[in-house]
Amino acid sequence: MTAAGAPTRDQDRHTVSARGVTKAFPGVVANDGVDFDADRGEVHALLGENGSGKTTLCKILTGLYRPDAGQVLVGGDPVAFRSPADAYEAGIFMVHQHFSLVSSMTVAENVVLGWHRDKGRVFNRRQVEEEVARAAERFDMHVDPRAIISRLSVGERQRVEILKAFYRGARTLILDEPTSVLTPQESEQLFVSLRRMASEGEAVVFISHKLDEVSALCDRVTVLRQGQVSGSADLRTTSVDARGLARMMVGRDIAFSRRSRSQPVGEGEPALELRNVSAVDDDGTTALEDVTLSVRPGEILGVAGVAGNGQVALGEVIAGLRRSTSGDVRLRGEPLPPGNPRAASDRGLAYVPEDRIGTGLAPGLTVADNCVLKSYRQRQLGRGPFLVKPRILARTQRLLEAFNVKGTADSLVRQLSGGNAQKVLLAREISSEPQVLVVATPTRGLDVSAMESIRKLLLEAAARGAAILLISEDLAEILDLADRIAVISRGRIQGVLEADGTDPEQVGVLMMGGSLEDAGAVAP
Amino acid sequence: MQWRPEIHFERRLKPPRWLGVATPPIAVIVALAIGALVLWASGRDPVDIYQRMVRSAFTNPGAFSNTLIAATPLLLTGLAAAITFRMKVWNIGADGQLMIGAVLAAAAGTYFGGQGLAGVMTLMILAGIVGGCVWAAIAALLRVYMNTNEVLTTLMLNYIAPLILFYLIFDSTSYWRDLSSQSARVFPQAKTLATEAFWPEYGTTVVVPFGFILGAALAVALFFVVRSTRFGFQMRVSADSPAAGRYAGIRTGRLLILVMLLSGALAGIAGASQIGDVSHRLEPKNLQLAVFGYTGIAVAALVRYHPLSIIVSAILVGALNNAGFNLQGPDLPLGLIGVNQGIILLLVAASEVTARYRLVIGRRSRRCDRGPPDGEAAEASATDGAAAEQSDGGATS
Amino acid sequence: MNESLFVDLLAAGLLYGTPLVLAGLGELLAERSGVMNLGVEAMMLMGAVTAFWFVQSFEGPGWLALLLAILLAALVGTAMATVYAFAVVTLRANQVVSGLALLILGGAAGLSSYLAAIGNLSGPAARFKLPTYDVLGLSDVPIVGPLIFGQNALVYVSWLLVALTAFYLYRTQTGLHLQAVGEDPRSADAMGINVSRYRYGHTMVGGALAGVAGSYYTLELQPAWIDGITAGAGWIAIALVITAFWRPGLLLTGAYLFGIVTSLGFTLQARGVDLPPEIFTSLPYVLTILAVVLVSSGWSRLRFNAPAALGEPYSREEA
Repeated sequence: MTAAGAPTRDQDRHTVSARGVTKAFPGVVANDGVDFDADRGEVHALLGENGSGKTTLCKILTGLYRPDAGQVLVGGDPVAFRSPADAYEAGIFMVHQHFSLVSSMTVAENVVLGWHRDKGRVFNRRQVEEEVARAAERFDMHVDPRAIISRLSVGERQRVEILKAFYRGARTLILDEPTSVLTPQESEQLFVSLRRMASEGEAVVFISHKLDEVSALCDRVTVLRQGQVSGSADLRTTSVDARGLARMMVGRDIAFSRRSRSQPVGEGEPALELRNVSAVDDDGTTALEDVTLSVRPGEILGVAGVAGNGQVALGEVIAGLRRSTSGDVRLRGEPLPPGNPRAASDRGLAYVPEDRIGTGLAPGLTVADNCVLKSYRQRQLGRGPFLVKPRILARTQRLLEAFNVKGTADSLVRQLSGGNAQKVLLAREISSEPQVLVVATPTRGLDVSAMESIRKLLLEAAARGAAILLISEDLAEILDLADRIAVISRGRIQGVLEADGTDPEQVGVLMMGGSLEDAGAVAP
Repeated sequence: MQWRPEIHFERRLKPPRWLGVATPPIAVIVALAIGALVLWASGRDPVDIYQRMVRSAFTNPGAFSNTLIAATPLLLTGLAAAITFRMKVWNIGADGQLMIGAVLAAAAGTYFGGQGLAGVMTLMILAGIVGGCVWAAIAALLRVYMNTNEVLTTLMLNYIAPLILFYLIFDSTSYWRDLSSQSARVFPQAKTLATEAFWPEYGTTVVVPFGFILGAALAVALFFVVRSTRFGFQMRVSADSPAAGRYAGIRTGRLLILVMLLSGALAGIAGASQIGDVSHRLEPKNLQLAVFGYTGIAVAALVRYHPLSIIVSAILVGALNNAGFNLQGPDLPLGLIGVNQGIILLLVAASEVTARYRLVIGRRSRRCDRGPPDGEAAEASATDGAAAEQSDGGATS
Repeated sequence: MNESLFVDLLAAGLLYGTPLVLAGLGELLAERSGVMNLGVEAMMLMGAVTAFWFVQSFEGPGWLALLLAILLAALVGTAMATVYAFAVVTLRANQVVSGLALLILGGAAGLSSYLAAIGNLSGPAARFKLPTYDVLGLSDVPIVGPLIFGQNALVYVSWLLVALTAFYLYRTQTGLHLQAVGEDPRSADAMGINVSRYRYGHTMVGGALAGVAGSYYTLELQPAWIDGITAGAGWIAIALVITAFWRPGLLLTGAYLFGIVTSLGFTLQARGVDLPPEIFTSLPYVLTILAVVLVSSGWSRLRFNAPAALGEPYSREEA
């Protein structure tokens, strides 16, 4: 344990430190007197739940936010970063979850972007490409400097981000939940690279909320809870107590709702069926290829995969928001007319899209308007061509109470917190008593309690007999909730596994495009 | 560290009410002040000119009646702009739609001239609607089926429409052209409506043209359509988020075409009213110079596209036009009115920012430093205790 | 088509296309930075009126009058572009509405007409007109001579600018940054590129070029003043940028094509073709619609390289 509030002025050891950093947003204290040191030659984990202040701390360290109180020190000297550019000058670089890459440009162009070493000079493409190739070799991270970013996989893009950092002379590299977009195997590969960086004397800060990753990779760990440091440990000297870390992280023993696998589910005819469905993206590239799936009433089918492998198109095709190029989608055996979202919803399909605010909800309209976003056509809500406001308000009030949403009918959706907005969306969709519920990344970005209530809602809907297709990039969530797991990779279903007793490694093989035989799994 | 003045913004979640009320008068006053500056800089006496403008727009005998005549087309083109701009569909083509509407209305008026006023008026209005719709449909269909930017198409159609009028009157012996006398053959002009087909006016001290009453009635109707009908609900959803509209099962392409046609119809009615209320014949040059369509956008933007308020702002801008027209001459070149209107529109567009953001100049607020990114966290503690971090949107559990 | 008609058309295309090249290049730079400058028409008109006023009232040698008039037009264009950039970049005002505001403010029934009225500019012809040059003494060579070696100064300037812009976009670091700002301002910002500065800078350069393009009307094309002299050329320039896929070379070609179409009426009527003038006058507008339809629909949209963030204001705090 490091002693809090005892600043060390050891120039050699500390690359970057925070001392008593406090940062408040309206209504939330995101960081409250946080002390943190990233030493050279170590991989330092910053562990915490969503909303614990990890990202805020790192944004302060990299000049995106300025602290309300406290200091950032580099090499023991206080610094005041005005922008990320100042942080780069000091050798601090952060790889965000949303990469800062211009997707229409090449790897080499992105690596030199905004880097003013050659200021005013003619852009020497070949020289840059050679330099990038050398840097890639040094850290064993292969990318083609001439490749266009949009053609690269997420894992490759992440490598470009890391290369960019080192090209600019980064001494401290901060990675924000880097493994959330990777397969288990890609994560392993990343860990090797990160260890090599640390052994070459760089400092790596690894933001995570996954205990197993932290113990596999990191030298030290600092745990944040509700904006404060709730504990820290040196993993090289102390043996880790996973449960202790978990308690530091969460503050209580938390157990998420899980699917009870004792009761038999999924009797009878499939409620939702996809037969050989293919579809293309807006830019004409293949999004789905020959997808065949079925979900029975009361069953939860999880669709696992790395982000960007066709999940968005899958949800859209089922909901009628994207036309399939071949194959059909059937609800209780009847094919749905393609490209007709209204028909899908009239026939009992509910859809919670990945883009909640903007697609699932209209952010500038009131909660009441959003509660009738699909049902405004119903006769009982209006008179002739007119809508009757009191009836809409009454329905809204019922939904808000039944689903325990904190917010009023006349507040705008964009005024709601992420968790409440998602509850409004789920309330509307579930209250229509759908036969089939398609949900995409339902808990992403939500805090622990909101996450738990969303999980409960899904399990209850399944218990009432809805067939649920759960599309998620969070493998743990799928393992907890789903009865069966379909793994998607590059728009193809690689295989379908029984969730019971599935090994995450097997799923990982499929996520990377391997087959069931590669994964050594027994098909259900 | 040296102090650097900087402008930055803090996001508002809901604009305060008073802003919407305060913006239009402030914009008008500032625009008039800048106009005064322009007058003063070019050696005129702004106080005197403005006094004369007020007299000739409001207080002189008959002045306000003329203001209402000037306001009539602006009321209709203002409504035309409002319904599309609300949906972020940029129909800038009200000018062209008005002209084509006027062409067909003039034909209807001259053809059915002697057959009872109510019947002629109905036919003229219908003809105006058809003309405006046809011209708007070109841009609407190209937008929906060919994905073509409607700003450019409606603008180009604005340049083409007057050429059609010129051709009909000056370069052909079309139906519209008056060929009854020798002088009309030498100096081309359009056929005039029979006096029985002139649209009625109401009132004695203040004369209200029929077109204005029609426009006001349409403004009220539009207000209720947008606020309380299912069609209006679809418009509001699509305006706020087209993706949410598609998700909710709204046929957004169809809706867009409908709204564009509605807008074209309103502009076409303005064209019919120009023929029936004002000029009683097709006057290509006047219609081209009047730029009712562009001015209508300023009228609508001034009151944030609110249908009922457009009645007021149309009268205000109409007064400006009326005064400018009366005082036109070496003292007050007509261009000044355009300057005023342009500045009003620019100020209104720029003030839009105050509805969405709180402007902070020179100091950083302690509470909110460039974040949180999408406002989700702003009310987090008040609701379910989520912290700023969630607003990154990318965290998985 | 006989040879001399062909040459006549090309020459007229060059003559009428040059302001489109200048204004289009300016728009191209602004759009590459993500700003759709819809004030081009107004900037051209203001450039046209101020350049004309200067030439009419300046006491001094003709070449100096013309040079200063063009510079003044550039300055006026820059000033208007600065106002526009302040509205759309700093205040994040809607670009369509702000562009229209500028059009009403400076346009045919606005400030340009006001200035012409108080300066009594209507009527007399310009005292000086842009001189043409006989480059290398080659202007007498058949066909290519007058086209390539016998043009006025602004034509040569426009060629130079096209080449410079192409080099700037594709071969310099700043050009690379410009593209990043137009494609993905968030990433550009994260990489330490000052998004606002790039947007201001390129919008202002665009305004300067629009002003110069306007001066070309009153100093060369129809050396006199009439209200609304540019007749929508600013909007055609915007359409040209889209149809040229934001590439300087294609822009040059497209501008001359439009120049030919614009001048078709004069050229054909001089040869006795008798059609209503409105048909010829409407051709550039019809062609603009057709061209924009062609590039925005179906097959070509896939090859469309519109700057991804075109028209979208950027602010760091919005996700």
